[in-house]
Amino acid sequence: MKICITSTGSGIDARVDERFGRASYFLIVDTDTLEFEAIKNPAQAAAQGAGISAAQVVSDKGVEAVLTGSIGPNAFNALRSAKIKVYQGVSGADTIRDAIEKFKKGEYKEASFPSGGRGRGFRGGMW
Amino acid sequence: MVNTFDKHLIEVIHQKSIKIPIIAVTGGKGGVGKSTVAVNIADAIVQMGYKVALVDADVDAPNDHILLDIPLENSIEVINTLPLINYGRCTKCRKCVDICRRNALFQPENSFPILIGECNGCEACILICPSDAIDRGKRILGKVYMSKRDGLTLFTGEIVPGAEESAFVVNALKNRVFEEANDLDIIIVDTSPGTHCNVINAVRAVDIAFAVTEPTPLGIHDLKLILKLLKKLQIESKIVLNRSDLPGPKGQINFIAKAYDSNIIVDIPMDDELLKSYIIGIPVVRMYPKALSSIKFFNMAKEIVERFLQ
Repeated sequence: MKICITSTGSGIDARVDERFGRASYFLIVDTDTLEFEAIKNPAQAAAQGAGISAAQVVSDKGVEAVLTGSIGPNAFNALRSAKIKVYQGVSGADTIRDAIEKFKKGEYKEASFPSGGRGRGFRGGMW
Repeated sequence: MVNTFDKHLIEVIHQKSIKIPIIAVTGGKGGVGKSTVAVNIADAIVQMGYKVALVDADVDAPNDHILLDIPLENSIEVINTLPLINYGRCTKCRKCVDICRRNALFQPENSFPILIGECNGCEACILICPSDAIDRGKRILGKVYMSKRDGLTLFTGEIVPGAEESAFVVNALKNRVFEEANDLDIIIVDTSPGTHCNVINAVRAVDIAFAVTEPTPLGIHDLKLILKLLKKLQIESKIVLNRSDLPGPKGQINFIAKAYDSNIIVDIPMDDELLKSYIIGIPVVRMYPKALSSIKFFNMAKEIVERFLQ
């Protein structure tokens, strides 16, 4: 199964980035083979709409699920519309490898609604 | 130290299509008496025989019409574009998604773009679409009103609750005032509290800004913020110290004023007659022209007239 995990670094032993839209990297991982591709998040410093932009990046990779700490409502709705499952509550103390293990054991629950508020990004831009 | 913008940017920010003077009443903190000051100097200048526009730019909670007991009239809707994707013509090329600076559009794989984020109506998606597949939808952001009473014309902006783009309504409001400028001698803009985008748009192109505050820790804190903003925008600022007889730290106000090239031009002590007029909904300069606060407002009005209208 092809999934995306938000990561602080580009390797499989990097720690999980608990943010979605403003994560440093997206690791696109095949959970069976542990083969992965690291994508630097182009939306990390976006003035606005980082979550939607990030959702576009991972959706284009054709992943079936996203694992992250928490996710804002816009990114959540975008992923939903692309039929990508969202798993929240992944800890930043874990590495990507740990998170995959836990995911395979079924330790994360599929989210049916976004985290509270606007997500963990900042609110920049003109207004 | 305040870093100001470069000269060219300042010129663009303060571009003005009309010749009459514009004055802002602002102040950072809410509840310090901005509207009371604005309403009273407006009425005082009207009493001196001038045609005054009072612009209530606190579009989230406009209240000058309540202080003046004037109904809101002649409404015009403030409309913004919202992209409507025409699925019959859309080729899923995704150019609209990529051009959107606010990342408001999202396109699921093999599907059509959808609007998820907050659109600011810039229309970049409509311009870039090669197949003319985005129609101009409309979204009502708010309303602007114009109510005339003798020499006073009250312009009021009002945003639809929940809409995010209050600066648009402020701009639409100011544009409407500028259209009526031939009939006016002076414009007084009453801003919302704060130092955010709609305050910035409200103080653009003004000739001077009065920062209303009170001698309390909060008043001083927020005064500093607004003086900083005004200096950044290179707008001359003067401080109106309301409730000046409160036993607060006045020395600090002078200190901050100096740091931002400003000074206190008037202090208004607490005044029962001002309070009575406020409750009844008639400016104190009209209801009790001899009240202590009225004298202060008339003096301010006189100075404004001498400097900008003679």
